[in-house]
Amino acid sequence: MSSKQLNMVQAINSTLDYALSKNDSVVLLGEDIGRDGGVFRVTEGLQAKYGSDRVIDTPLVELGIVGMSIGMALNGMKPIPEIQFQDFIFTAFDQLVNQAAKLRYRSGGQFNVPMILRTPYGGGIKGGLYHSQSGEAYFAHTAGLTVISPSNPYDAKGLLMSALEYEDPIIFLEPKKLYRSTKIDVPDEEYKVPIGKASVVREGNDLTIVTYGSMVPVVTAAIEKNKVDAEIIDLRTIMPYDGETILQSVKKTGRAMIVMRLREHLVWALKYQHFWQRGLLTILWDQY
Amino acid sequence: MTEVFNGQEEKDVFLRAYSSMILSRMFDKKIVTAQRQGRVGFYTPTIGQEATQVGVSMALNPDDLVYEYYRDVPFMIHRGVPVEVLLDQIMGNSEDSAKGRQMPSHYNAKAQNFMSVQSPVATNLPLAVGAAYAIKHRKENKVVVTTFGDGSTSTPDFHAALNLASVYDLPVIFLCENNQWAISLPVEKQTKVEIWKKAEAYGAYGVKVDGNDFLETFKVAKEAVDRARSGKGPVLIEAVSYRIGPHSTSDDPSKYRSEGITEGSEKDPIVIAEKRLKDLGYITDEIIDKMKSEAKRIVDQKFDEREKIPPPKPETMYDDVYKEMTWIIKEEKGEAL
Repeated sequence: MSSKQLNMVQAINSTLDYALSKNDSVVLLGEDIGRDGGVFRVTEGLQAKYGSDRVIDTPLVELGIVGMSIGMALNGMKPIPEIQFQDFIFTAFDQLVNQAAKLRYRSGGQFNVPMILRTPYGGGIKGGLYHSQSGEAYFAHTAGLTVISPSNPYDAKGLLMSALEYEDPIIFLEPKKLYRSTKIDVPDEEYKVPIGKASVVREGNDLTIVTYGSMVPVVTAAIEKNKVDAEIIDLRTIMPYDGETILQSVKKTGRAMIVMRLREHLVWALKYQHFWQRGLLTILWDQY
Repeated sequence: MTEVFNGQEEKDVFLRAYSSMILSRMFDKKIVTAQRQGRVGFYTPTIGQEATQVGVSMALNPDDLVYEYYRDVPFMIHRGVPVEVLLDQIMGNSEDSAKGRQMPSHYNAKAQNFMSVQSPVATNLPLAVGAAYAIKHRKENKVVVTTFGDGSTSTPDFHAALNLASVYDLPVIFLCENNQWAISLPVEKQTKVEIWKKAEAYGAYGVKVDGNDFLETFKVAKEAVDRARSGKGPVLIEAVSYRIGPHSTSDDPSKYRSEGITEGSEKDPIVIAEKRLKDLGYITDEIIDKMKSEAKRIVDQKFDEREKIPPPKPETMYDDVYKEMTWIIKEEKGEAL
C-alpha cells in the first residue's frame, strides 16, 4: 500500500484535487484561492488544473461566498467554499444559521445543502485578534450544522473524504497552527475517517482528556512529559460529538478534563459537563 | 402584444393571468378574514402586488427557478401551485410539505420550482446567484428569478448578490417588488436613489415598470428574461406597486401612513387589468362577475376542506435536522416525549 509523507496542507490539497477530478459538480470558491492558491496555499495549483470556473476566485464578500455556495448545493453541485480566516466568517453568519442550517428542516426534508465550508481557525501564527479566533462554539450551537476539526494530516484527508459524501452542511475547521507543523504517512488510496466518531489517540487509566484540533499535540506532549497515565480522546467531529467514546473512557478512568481553545463557561462545554456527570453518576451507582 | 402571441393564444394567456390575479385576491381576503376569526395564526397579504407577480410569471418557463419571499401568492398561483398547497402551509397541517414547521406565508413548492421561503429579508438573493451558477455550469437554458421588497435593497445580501451575479454574468432576474412600504418605513426613507438605477453600479441591466399593470410588467419581464437567458447577465426589475394591505396581520397601517391606493380604485391592479382586457375585447362585466364568484367559491370550499386536516404529529418535529438523526437529537426527543 503506497503512501506519502504529507503535512496537513498537502493532505487537504490532494483530497481536493481528488474530489475535483472525480466529480464535475465539485467546485471550490473563495478569496485568492485560484491564482494565488489561497493565503495558506491549500488550493495551490488547482485552478491551473481545473479552470477558473471550478476553482473560483471570488470578490471579497463572505456572505456572498456562503450564500452562493448554498444555492449551488441546492442545485446538484458540491461546493467547497473557503473562508480565508474563520475570523471573517461573521458577515456570513446569517446565511449559515438561517439558510444552510435550516433548509432541510424548514422544507420538511425536501431540500438539503451538501456544502463543505473550509476555514483555517485558531491561534499560533501571531495573528492577533482577527487571525486567531476559535469560533467553533458558534457553529456547534446551531442545529443543522456539522462541525469538524482534524488534528493531523491523516484525519484531514479521511474526514474530508467522508465530507464529500455527506449531505448536510459542514463547517470544516482547519487548525492553522498544524497546517505545516508535522508530516506523517498518508495513504495514496481512498479511505474515510467517519464523521461523528472520536479517536482514542492514547489509552490510559487515570484520567480522560477530551480535546481536538491544535490542542491534541499539545496535550499529548504534556502527558508524555509529566508521565500521566491519561487517555486522550481526539473528538475530530465537534458536533455531533462522540458521546459514547467519552462515556466509555470516563467510566474507566473516573476522571475527566476538557482542553480546548475556548472560554471556559460556554454552554456547549457545560453539555460535556452534564454528560460527564451522568457518566460519573453511573459509575458511582455501579460502585454503590 | 402581437409580437409575442397570436390572436386566440393571446386571449387565453391574458385571461389566465387575470384569473390568477382574481384567485389570489380572493385567497388574500379569505385568509385575512380567517386570521381575524382566529382560524389562521398569521398572514402577509399580497393585495396590490398581483399584477407585478403575474406579469413576471407570464414571462417564465415552467423549469425556470424561483427564489421567492413571503409575499408571492399570486406568483405561485399563476405558476400552478395548487391553492391546497398554500392553505396547508398556512394552516401548518399534516399535509403541509414543510410538516407544519414554518410560520404562515413561508411556502415552498418544489414541483413548480419554488424554493422554501425564509424570513430574513434578501437572504434568498445570494442563493439565487448560486442556483444560476449551477445552471450555467451545466449549460442549461434556464433563468432564476428572485423576489424581494424595497426594504431588502438596503441589505448587504442585495449588494453581494447583484455584484456576484454581474461578475459571473449569471442568468438572474432580481425582481424588486417595490410596494413602497417596508412595514412602517416608506421607500423615500429606505434609499435616496431609484432602485432600478442601482443596477448600473454593478454592471447589471436595470429597468423600472408600472407593477400595477400586468401587461406592462409582462412586456418588461419578457425582455429581461430573454436577455438573461441569452447570456447577457443579470437584470434588476423595479416593479412599482403599492401595498394596499398591512405588512402582515400583526400591524395596522393607519398608525404610520395615510391611505394610498385603495382596493377598487383606478390604480388597483385588478381594476387596471379589467380595463385592459375590456379594451382588447377579451372580457365583459358579466364574465368578470362570473370569474370572481367562481374564485371565491373555490377558495371558500378549499379552505373548509383543508381546515379539517389534523396537525402534524408532535414527534415529527425532531426529524430532518440532519439526514440521519444524531444521538443528541434522539436524546432530546426521548426527554421531551
